[in-house]
Amino acid sequence: MSAARPQDGVFGIAATFWTAPDIYHACEKVRDAGYRRWDSYCPFPVHGLHHAMGLKRSRVPFFTFIGGMLGFLTGLTIVWYMNMDYPLVVGGKPYFSPVFPFPIFYELTILLAAFGTLGGMFITNRLPRHNHPLFDYQPFLQTSDDRFMIVIESSDPAFDPDRVRALLEEAGGEEITVVAPGAQAA
Amino acid sequence: MSTTGTSTRSSPAAGLAGAGSRRPLPGLLLALAVAGIGIGLVGLGTGLSAGDARPVISWLLGFSFWTSILLGSLFFVMIFNLFDAGWSVLVRRQLEHLLAGFKWIAILFLPLLLIAWFYRDPGILWKWLNPEHILPNGYTVATDALYQAKEPYLNKTAFTLRSLLYFGVFLFFANALRRNSFGLDEDGDRSRVQRQKVLSGAGVFACGLALTFAAIDWFMSIEFHWFSTMYGVWFFAASMRAALAFLLILLFFQADRGVLQGLHRPSHNYQLGCIALAFTVFWAYISFSQYFLIYQANIPEETFWYNIRHMNADGTTNSWWWVGLTLIFCNFLLPFLFLLFYKTKVRIPLILFVAAWILTFHVVDLYFNILPSKSAPADNVLNYKVRQFTINFWDVAVFVGIGALVLWAYLTSLREKGAIPRRDPRIREALEHHE
Repeated sequence: MSAARPQDGVFGIAATFWTAPDIYHACEKVRDAGYRRWDSYCPFPVHGLHHAMGLKRSRVPFFTFIGGMLGFLTGLTIVWYMNMDYPLVVGGKPYFSPVFPFPIFYELTILLAAFGTLGGMFITNRLPRHNHPLFDYQPFLQTSDDRFMIVIESSDPAFDPDRVRALLEEAGGEEITVVAPGAQAA
Repeated sequence: MSTTGTSTRSSPAAGLAGAGSRRPLPGLLLALAVAGIGIGLVGLGTGLSAGDARPVISWLLGFSFWTSILLGSLFFVMIFNLFDAGWSVLVRRQLEHLLAGFKWIAILFLPLLLIAWFYRDPGILWKWLNPEHILPNGYTVATDALYQAKEPYLNKTAFTLRSLLYFGVFLFFANALRRNSFGLDEDGDRSRVQRQKVLSGAGVFACGLALTFAAIDWFMSIEFHWFSTMYGVWFFAASMRAALAFLLILLFFQADRGVLQGLHRPSHNYQLGCIALAFTVFWAYISFSQYFLIYQANIPEETFWYNIRHMNADGTTNSWWWVGLTLIFCNFLLPFLFLLFYKTKVRIPLILFVAAWILTFHVVDLYFNILPSKSAPADNVLNYKVRQFTINFWDVAVFVGIGALVLWAYLTSLREKGAIPRRDPRIREALEHHE
């Protein structure tokens, strides 16, 4: 799962674009070339870019659902176990019923579904991390200002520096640079 | 083929049953409306001559179904105006056309008022309207302590005036919003946009109150011993769901072969699907909260309403128990789980399916909330029978008849005024909407 290959210290190859349509069409080319470990960076959301990148739906709802179900079952178990372990008649209600303790089921469903969502977001984004190799590449910081960037990572199984460079050039990328923080440090 | 398609699209008055349509759909609907309502009136007549309340309730059920759809539409128009979301402009116009049916709905309420005033047993539907009516507790309505306490509110004159007032409020806002929106198409006067918002802001309050009290008067007072502060909100939630489901079906037809071809897209359906999910949860929340609070408090004046929806006087489980379970699973759980998925909201057959599903179980929900009632005398110690769940011929006739009338009014309005609010400042945003 390491982001860069240790032998060469290369994180990936970055290409800069200057307009939203440019990066949109470049993304389509990279998607069609079959790369999987790559990303695009934009200063603002570009509508439909996820289609151009061929991204699938997020997996976070799966974690939300698991969290919600766990919460519901936890609530159910708490109420059932406590009334079995220490039976008390309260307000003439039965020891166990799905009606009177429903707020507990419901609240725990919401709570654990929220935890599941948060946890799922962290897991699918591989967070937390304290640094990112791209932070060492100065032009990258401008993707929060006025430039667009595509970075194809060296961890992609199809990564070949020459082919990646050719693809990005063909897609209209400028300032194509090998991002290798390890090499810079050495 | 393509040229006809383009001309259909560019002309606002053409399309499904519009000027360009070969099929005489409005005429067909009007015939269906006359037939359905005529049969419903025959039902009313037989019911009244036999002293049988069931056909009268058929009328109320059909009325409640279409009223709920129109009220939901009215609220959606006002909410879309208030929230000023770009995507909603196109679908709002469909709802404005649907509101053309409100005046007919108001007229169709009149038979029930006439029964209250002129029939020999004015309490055939709302039993508290007849002071002589004998209750299961052995008292007549006039001598019943609970009725005596509620008499200042529940009396014939006040009831009639309030009903007229509700329709006055609904019709005022429906017509004012329609007139303003169509007027914007004509003169492009920007101040109308602001006026829409002012109207909607006032309308949300006025119609919210009118809807709540209307639900109390028309539906809750059938069992007048019972009271629930959730009831108005329940009717609101159910109405919003029904209007949304009906709108989704309407939009499907208009986008598939009508005036919105190529204009209404899955991204609009996605937004409406999200609201449908929200209101599914809201309906469940309100319905359950009502049940939950009454269950916890355990006061006989309240619990009997759920008891008769569970068992007969002798304790045997009755038909409403199954209807209640159906509501939990089919009106909440299944649509809820179904609508959670992204694909359900953007794939046309799926959203169409769930809309039809919600509308079907909205009917069941109305039956559950309106139809069951205690009737006396009976040969058991508690002296009452419970009116059971049945669907009869009169129900179907009234549902179809009023529905055809509402759709006819919708299509007539659509043909007369534009299908697209072409001078709305946000129309471009609506047409170019992305998720």
